[in-house]
Amino acid sequence: MQTENISILSILMLLIMLIPILLSNLFLKIKMNRYIIYAMLRMIIQLSFVGLYLQYLFEFNNTVLNIFYIIIMVIAASFSVINSCKLKIKKFILPVFSAIIIPHFLMVVYFNLFVARIDNIFDAKYLITIGGMILGNCLNGNIVGLNSFYNNIKQNEKEYFYSLSLGASRFQALGPYFKQAVLASITPTLASTATVGLVALPGMMTGQILGGSIPLVAIKYQIAIMIAIFIVKYFSVILALVFSSYKSFDEYDILNKDVYR
Amino acid sequence: MVEFSNISLAFDDKKIFENFNLNILKGEKVLLSAPSGSGKSSLFKLLLGFLKPDQGIIQFKGKKLNKNTVREIRNSISYVSQDIEFRDEKVVSLMKEIFLYHHNKNKDLNHKRIEDLLTYFHLNKNILEKKIGELSGGERQRLGLITAILLDREVWLLDEVTSALDHELKQKVVDYITQNDKTVLVISHDDIWKETSVFKIVRWS
Repeated sequence: MQTENISILSILMLLIMLIPILLSNLFLKIKMNRYIIYAMLRMIIQLSFVGLYLQYLFEFNNTVLNIFYIIIMVIAASFSVINSCKLKIKKFILPVFSAIIIPHFLMVVYFNLFVARIDNIFDAKYLITIGGMILGNCLNGNIVGLNSFYNNIKQNEKEYFYSLSLGASRFQALGPYFKQAVLASITPTLASTATVGLVALPGMMTGQILGGSIPLVAIKYQIAIMIAIFIVKYFSVILALVFSSYKSFDEYDILNKDVYR
Repeated sequence: MVEFSNISLAFDDKKIFENFNLNILKGEKVLLSAPSGSGKSSLFKLLLGFLKPDQGIIQFKGKKLNKNTVREIRNSISYVSQDIEFRDEKVVSLMKEIFLYHHNKNKDLNHKRIEDLLTYFHLNKNILEKKIGELSGGERQRLGLITAILLDREVWLLDEVTSALDHELKQKVVDYITQNDKTVLVISHDDIWKETSVFKIVRWS
């Protein structure tokens, strides 16, 4: 069983449905039309490119190329995390990149080896899709975690200094902000994990069912991927905080003024 | 004990210190008297290494303040800041946490001592079970001071520790501090500190 192909005309059929929205915005004077058109165009162009090169990637299915692709994705993800937190790229790129790629790569290999049990663990069909899903979810956790940590230290500088003056080592004084950052980044994932399936069907499962899998298989993959996402998110946030903190404090344990852009 | 030599410090374009010198001997008690914004609190932060001077040398017991000595110096000083920035947690858990800190490993939390100090500074024992956020400014100030006393370090830096206290308590705090042998630097707008002859008054503008 294969999914029915959608023609370009079919996509146009949906795009036409945007026209009433554009008109309604004009009528209601909601200044949003430009942004709608921009966002939709970007989405179409980006996905077209992704579709195109995934097609080639899957056809070649070359291990080195697949791994290279994953690395590029992680680099892009690291830039995106650092940019969203308004932090300095130069200072944070290495810590954030390492914090994502280490748990991410280990998990993808582990997943393909012991969960999906496929022969070639670097098979594009698994490596890139599973890897991409985990990465996408990891992004958000890292943004929330880093934001919470650095904003908290900046806002509570006096409190942090006071702890240092009372005898705390740098890591003891940072402890409370570290814990808060981990909680802030993990709690939303747990909340969505706890309600999955009740309010919305997860994308991966839906996709698999459309692609021809029976629901029971799709569910098992969904369960596996959610556990994998949780584990990678947890470790990558902790690593990002630990790695970056080595670079963002000076020899006097003071937060460097130049961590922010 | 504490020596500031030729310190210059500026925030953005505002000069706070220019070739500032101050020498404090062991056991001396000094009241810093200078107008608001003239860098009194900054002086404390410089000594603790929370601010770095643009120029000049800070020495503590003959040791130059630098990246190798900053932690040792910080932990020879009890600093009580204006706002007493404790985290909003239960007092007793904070006290326990402080005595588990890396640099306080050789110190024990003595409950009898805490109770004595609470009584001396007119605080009820049940304050230990309260959260920091529930305390008044005056209660926090006394708690900061008690913490400093418990840590028993050589030098005390006290920044406006009596501002929220009534006259009787101000007097008790001043008495306690004048009667011990620590080296003490005080920043305060309360005239009560000037009434004793123990304090050497250092002025600058």
